[in-house]
Amino acid sequence: MRLLQWASLGLVTLAAADSNLTHESRNILPSVFKPPQHFRNVNLVRNINLDKSYAKETINVVIENIDKEPQSHYYLPFEPGTIGRIGAVEVKDKKNPERGGFVAEVTELDPYSPTEFYKITFPTPLKPQEQLTLSINYYSLSILNPLPAQIEQTDKQYVLYSFSVYAPSAYVTQKQKTKLKLPTTDVPDAVVLPKSLNAEGKEDPQKSGTTYTYGPYGEREAGATQEASVRYEFTKPLVHGKLLERDVEVSHWGGNVAVEERHWFTNRGATLKNHFSRVAWQASSYYNPPTSALKEFRYPLVVGSADAYFIDDIGNVSTSHFRSSKREATLELKPRYPIFGGWNYSFKVGWNGDLQSFVRRITGSSDGYVLKVPFFEGPKQAEGVEYERLVTRIILPEGAKNVRFETAVPIVSNSTGLHRTFMDTVGRTTLTLTAVNVVDELRDRDLVVIYDYPSAARFRKPLTIFAGVLAIFAVSWVVGNLDVSIGKKQKTA
Amino acid sequence: MSASPLHDIWEASASQPLEASIGKASQFYVGFALLLIGFFLTSLFGLNNTFKNVSLYGIPASLAFGFGAVYMICAVGVYV
Repeated sequence: MRLLQWASLGLVTLAAADSNLTHESRNILPSVFKPPQHFRNVNLVRNINLDKSYAKETINVVIENIDKEPQSHYYLPFEPGTIGRIGAVEVKDKKNPERGGFVAEVTELDPYSPTEFYKITFPTPLKPQEQLTLSINYYSLSILNPLPAQIEQTDKQYVLYSFSVYAPSAYVTQKQKTKLKLPTTDVPDAVVLPKSLNAEGKEDPQKSGTTYTYGPYGEREAGATQEASVRYEFTKPLVHGKLLERDVEVSHWGGNVAVEERHWFTNRGATLKNHFSRVAWQASSYYNPPTSALKEFRYPLVVGSADAYFIDDIGNVSTSHFRSSKREATLELKPRYPIFGGWNYSFKVGWNGDLQSFVRRITGSSDGYVLKVPFFEGPKQAEGVEYERLVTRIILPEGAKNVRFETAVPIVSNSTGLHRTFMDTVGRTTLTLTAVNVVDELRDRDLVVIYDYPSAARFRKPLTIFAGVLAIFAVSWVVGNLDVSIGKKQKTA
Repeated sequence: MSASPLHDIWEASASQPLEASIGKASQFYVGFALLLIGFFLTSLFGLNNTFKNVSLYGIPASLAFGFGAVYMICAVGVYV
């Protein structure tokens, strides 16, 4: 099973090294589909935050319904090849952030269509001539590319970020501006756009500290693009998780919640021009300069976690610290080697937690339980961590049923199945949730699972063993009393 | 209606954290004692292999093995 999983991972990595196109959970639209022009973007401000190794984009847009009917679907287009890198699209009402009910989901035209869309559904239709301010958030993964692609071990790393200065839009945009927030002022290249494009006749970008502004621009038709790029210093690893598998195993008998996370990391940063020099690496450890290599993971865990372990393909890795106190539980992991650009490292970590911190009996229900755990944990790095694919399995006790769940992490698929392990007869009920294109900023989001666990199922394990041992007693009695002597029985006086 | 009904159930059940009947610290002792009782009763059954003794020693020994094995495997870190 594991071999198959690894093999499939290898194939997936080969086939789609950068993009994470998934065909799960999509609405299929007719191939001739073009979003109906029901809206107009009155004013749009797009903020792109490049502090981390992924781009966090926030589009604040005032939209107006220009149709005669109330409308509730707004489409957000993405260029081909980019939608597979977009994750955690979330929409809010900017003026009333508490108002929920905005749903963003991927739609698909046909496989050869150049553009794909996210469909945003409003909680209530927008009336004609009315305006609404949307705040659209999403993350773009694998978007930074090192340039130059090869550097010396102690060199600074520069990355290139390419984008369109016009925000992606399926509607006419009357006024817009794009702001980049860079992590540094060391920006050797930024594409300069002519004054004629800018509505105020200024040359773009306009710089203010680490913020680069493109725009404002006047009216642009739907789908307008204007390529631009910036190249800036980013001497940090581009930490990319190809896959994260997380298991949460609930044990009512043991009073324990066991968590295990299996990571497959790669560093998307610039590769080494020459061979790795251990001497240079060791010398640099005394003054600790910024480096494009990944040398440590910091893993903040839920307070009260215990029995942590850190294992890779070879076995236990002893270069780790687990700091646990009443206030914190932090796992500090040092991989066996610094992970430079293009290098991989896979490992698993696990720990235990007390059942009472995670599971509660549901009030007014005899055998209903509610479980709340983080959807995923993973390391928390200053440079950010992105995950292409995240599979969380909640392994409930054997015989648990009526499983329902709720999470704030956007997921692409869910399924309920069985997982067989120690002392199981029928197998443990398992909820498997898959999310794609997730970043570490979502790591504190919870997953709430509700399940029923009747007492009959609860006593299944000890009663199975009871029945087995009793059968041995019965067999031993039967066999022990068989008369296997040869010849006639001698009568004793 | 709230946007997150299951989360509300979690909040409403705040006073009822689920505690295991035998805490993690005492699982080894309980498991060991039960297994010991099981072995002891099995030995008694072994002395006199009769049908009466199957019910007299066999049933309590099987129960002790059943629960003892579950607690012992939990005590060694395989939380079943």
